[in-house]
Amino acid sequence: MRTDTDPRARGDAGCIARLTDVAYEIGGRAVFDGLNVAIDRGKVTAIMGPSGTGKTTLLRLITGQIQATRGRVEVDGEDLGALDTDGLYRLRQRMGMLFQNGALLTDLDVYENVAFPLREHTDLPESLVARIVLMKLQAVGLRGAARLMPSELSGGMARRVALARAIVMDPKILIYDEPFAGLDPIALGMVLRLIRSTNDALGLTSIVVSHDVHEIGILADTAYLLAAGRVAAAGTPAALAKDPAPVVRQFMSGEADGPVAFHYPAPDYEAQLLGAEVPQ
Amino acid sequence: MSFVANLAGSGRQLAEKWGRFTLFTARLVVVTPRALGRPRLIVDQTHNSGALSLVIIMLSGLFVGMVLGLQGFDLLRRFGSTEQLGSGVALSLLRELGPVVTALLFAGRAGTALTSEIGLMSATDQLSAMEMMAVDPVRRVCAPRFIGGVIAMPLLAAIFSMTGIFGGQLVGVTMMGVDSGQFWSQMRGAVEMRDITEGIVKSLAFGVACSAIAVYEGYHAVPTAEGVGRATTRTVVTSSVVVLVLDYMLTAVLL
Repeated sequence: MRTDTDPRARGDAGCIARLTDVAYEIGGRAVFDGLNVAIDRGKVTAIMGPSGTGKTTLLRLITGQIQATRGRVEVDGEDLGALDTDGLYRLRQRMGMLFQNGALLTDLDVYENVAFPLREHTDLPESLVARIVLMKLQAVGLRGAARLMPSELSGGMARRVALARAIVMDPKILIYDEPFAGLDPIALGMVLRLIRSTNDALGLTSIVVSHDVHEIGILADTAYLLAAGRVAAAGTPAALAKDPAPVVRQFMSGEADGPVAFHYPAPDYEAQLLGAEVPQ
Repeated sequence: MSFVANLAGSGRQLAEKWGRFTLFTARLVVVTPRALGRPRLIVDQTHNSGALSLVIIMLSGLFVGMVLGLQGFDLLRRFGSTEQLGSGVALSLLRELGPVVTALLFAGRAGTALTSEIGLMSATDQLSAMEMMAVDPVRRVCAPRFIGGVIAMPLLAAIFSMTGIFGGQLVGVTMMGVDSGQFWSQMRGAVEMRDITEGIVKSLAFGVACSAIAVYEGYHAVPTAEGVGRATTRTVVTSSVVVLVLDYMLTAVLL
């Protein structure tokens, strides 16, 4: 492993989230074992990796939705393992998360979706709530869609509304789960530009989980590539593109076969065909 | 041996599920005072569970009352006491049929709607999104729906009984020719406050049971299309059985 993947080997002044020697098991299967990740403050950090390597699980560890079976997860100076539910909820008020499908509340319109965190956590007068919501909707270009219901939005619009909702409480950390999945090129370009501009204009830290190598190459300051429950490589996207490790090369250049095998483990092909065995 | 092992396994699963349900209901009760601080949400949910069930409740109540009128008239005619029809219809509805049939219809209409709505919210990450916004979904989503159901049930049972009595009167007095004065005066004489109290206690208990089961099943549904479908079925089956068992227990206590 590269030395810059180990947070103990670097200064923590610029680090807002840190996972140290983290292990996580589900149903007896180890998803992570000895994972070390450090997220730099103010940067856009990408978490990449083939499907099933635990990218979303890593997000759920950082947001405290699940607890590590071993190791330490620290976010904004708080040890997640030591936090009770109230402490976790206080921490989450400093975080925003964008789900893959937007996860908008389907019984509320766009305006009320964006106003939702303000109504739940503050006693602001309606006039102020309206101004904040309209400003956030303007930032994502959807002020005119304030009274549409989520069912009337396209996939890209729903994600932009979810982004407006995620930044309405002015969080320190913004987390994106597969923000580019299923978008047309125009919507993809919009989301790409919004993630960068939101990060820089509001002084946030962004964590983007994705397997879109091209988009991450444009967007991210730092990228972590996960494979087999560990960090296979970390660095700038440009550095990752030149990494000679086979698993990194296979992922970055999109090769169908390699360390991540094309074929799922199966019995001998010839024997199975000649024996005409029906898979059990 | 495997039969005994299966039986033991099923028993353990049932005990585990009962334990989870009890803990969840306790959590609902704990967050209820905070949920009551948002009356608008509760009014909305009472409307969803109550007002939107009105048509089916009134229609069923009317026909149940009409059947009671027909059967009661036929039975009482054999003993020459058809003037007792009013008290028979009213007591059957207020003490038994009103709360029980309303609860069964509530489980089928409002209960399934609650389960599928919460289950789909879970399947589309809406509940996770709330947790990520530091909002407890049990307080924000489940508790108002639970309270709305508990408020709606006695009101629906009262409306069911009222339309049922009207249906009984329609058949008995208008169609079969029972004297109107005797129908209503016998009813007034026979129905006591404790009969009405029994109906209210039962419908409140059924309201708590049906709403808690519907919300629990939705919140714990496997977040897939099949999972939500199964949870919705479980809501109807479990609620119906629980209502009938509770009805026997409450009747035994209250008689």
